[in-house]
Amino acid sequence: MKKILAIAKWEFIEKVKTKTFIISLILTPIIIIGFSIVPTLLSTKEDARTKAIGVLDITGFYFDNVRKALEEYKLEDGQPNYIVINLIKDNDELNDNKTNADKNILENKIEGYLFINIPSPDSLVAEYRSRSIGNFRDVKRFEEVLNKIRIREELLNSGIDPGLISSLQKNIQLKQIRIEESGKEGKQDFLTVFFSSFIFIILLMMMVIYSGQMLVRSLIEEKSNKLIEVLISSCTPDELLTGKILGLSSLGLTQISIWALIGLGLVGGAVVPPEMFENILLMLLYFVLGFVFYTTLFVGIGSIVTTEQEAQQITTYLSLTLMLPIVIAMPAIQNPDVLILKVFSYIPLTIPSVMLLRVNIAPVPVIDLLITVSIMLISIYIMIKLSAKIFRIGILSYGGRPTIKEIIGWIKSG
Amino acid sequence: MLSVKNLTKKFKHSVAVDNLSFDVIPGKIFGLLGPNGAGKTTTIRTVLNIIKPTSGTIIFNGRPITNQFFNQIGYLPEERGLYRRSKVIDVLKYFAELKNLSSVEAVKTADEWLEKLNITHYRNKRIEELSKGNQQKIQFITAVFHDPDLLILDEPFTGFDPINQQEIKELILSFVSSGKIIILSTHQMETAEKLCNEILLINNGLEVTSGDLADIKRQFGGNNIKLQFSGNSEFLKSFHGVIHYESYSNYAEVQLSDDISPSEFLHRIIDKIEIKHFSVIEPTLNKIFIDLIKEQPI
Repeated sequence: MKKILAIAKWEFIEKVKTKTFIISLILTPIIIIGFSIVPTLLSTKEDARTKAIGVLDITGFYFDNVRKALEEYKLEDGQPNYIVINLIKDNDELNDNKTNADKNILENKIEGYLFINIPSPDSLVAEYRSRSIGNFRDVKRFEEVLNKIRIREELLNSGIDPGLISSLQKNIQLKQIRIEESGKEGKQDFLTVFFSSFIFIILLMMMVIYSGQMLVRSLIEEKSNKLIEVLISSCTPDELLTGKILGLSSLGLTQISIWALIGLGLVGGAVVPPEMFENILLMLLYFVLGFVFYTTLFVGIGSIVTTEQEAQQITTYLSLTLMLPIVIAMPAIQNPDVLILKVFSYIPLTIPSVMLLRVNIAPVPVIDLLITVSIMLISIYIMIKLSAKIFRIGILSYGGRPTIKEIIGWIKSG
Repeated sequence: MLSVKNLTKKFKHSVAVDNLSFDVIPGKIFGLLGPNGAGKTTTIRTVLNIIKPTSGTIIFNGRPITNQFFNQIGYLPEERGLYRRSKVIDVLKYFAELKNLSSVEAVKTADEWLEKLNITHYRNKRIEELSKGNQQKIQFITAVFHDPDLLILDEPFTGFDPINQQEIKELILSFVSSGKIIILSTHQMETAEKLCNEILLINNGLEVTSGDLADIKRQFGGNNIKLQFSGNSEFLKSFHGVIHYESYSNYAEVQLSDDISPSEFLHRIIDKIEIKHFSVIEPTLNKIFIDLIKEQPI
């Protein structure tokens, strides 16, 4: 036991001191924060300033109505969101009007303008011309306003009571509320689910790739300079294996704790919505199970491979399996009962990441939780046994990479 | 005492060690000799319990060798290497802890040894900043600083300059007097000749010869002569009574048959070439080694 601790301590301290560790410690949260904050900003953030919007209304009918409707929108501080400017200059030709209006955009006098025209009596053409396209919220509002005006006008023409029209035109906004087991209402929307799961999946993947490569690299170093012989003449292979897994897991836990603190800080600072961390305990559970599973897997692999390139390839491919949920995320969110999701939640390689996604989509039945956690625990146990056997023989076999047949032989012989 | 009986290690396509038996007693340096690929390292790995023998027993101080002996074993492998990016003192401390020293003891012992080998100033340097010779010194320390009862040194002198070789040689000799069991594996016969009392010469996994070095020399010693001369000595190759003639750049070695004495030989050649030096020599271990290995069927 004393030696296991000595090995764990060595693996931990020597790796904590490396530059790559420190870089990944800092870089990962930056990437993650980017992932989580940008969509939040994009989807909910109000405009910070009033926008000047022009209207070039050839019909002469829409301008007043559009202005009235758009000036209803207010910024957070109560200022109007839009100032609507009439761009029609009576004397000018249509084309001159347009040229002038376009010039206004290029000179940044206006954000953009609505061009409304009736080329023939029963068709209305509307364009929103601006320097950049893609401001979905503005465009959606303009559309809504134009449609309302048009419908209102036609209804009025057919003699419908204006009061009725107003009440008909009130929007119904659909709020999505997720019902959880306990009967309380969840407040997550698609983006929160998506990103809170993905943050953890990406974290897990980065940590697995990173620490897996570290582990494999150190094994290759010890193998290539025969240090392994000195180690094995000082302790048993099992002690060495356990020490390494222990040291690396502590390293992983240190990393995740530091990140968790950063995350809590962000919630505290209201940068990240707290809903993102609603299922934190379950997620941490699958995270830790996944990390330990992959680490033991890498020990086995590390004792087989002989070069760093080989190691890197294998670790990367394996870690990519963790990314699977991102591929199946859309169908899964639309229908949590989809078969593929169920299947992947019973395969040890994909359980951690798929479950990280599932706990956020819909409440997972307790029985499923028990089954998946049991599968993980059993797989970890089997993996440790297998890896230990491969490790015991593999670390002392030099030369070329062994064939699958040879490895099976090792496992049987142990 | 270390007692190895009928040790055999088979690999998939080869027999690395074939029925070897030997005893190593404390107070003497035991030389495990043989050409490259003879099975020396495999023998050592089995003795160290790194790999399991196919058959045979290894008894250390009356008990089969097991994991309990980890802390009593010191091992210097042939290929050297340490954690290159780590600090000298950290590496030493780690290896000491693996030999069951407490961390306080570990640092203390490490510092003592650094001082003993005059490399204290490298204490806080990274391994990769050290010269090859000094890295070897660090590795040598890891093999001996826990005061092991059984010390196995595989080619301990490769990579050392003559001054350091001398230093290490003296250290190894000092371990003899402290009653350690020492196995020295090498293919440098000069080293073995100077240090070893007992030898085991193996080739292709088989024992070629073994025993007390002095006895072996006597056994193989014949009429051997070292000769320095000027003039053409080609005729000596087929000269009467000459069994073997080996010419080097500055001198020649001649092995005579038993029916001719060195002085008689000197008489016969004295007017044929100009002799500068003439002496009777014992066969070097190197020569015994080469002769024996050459005789071996491949």
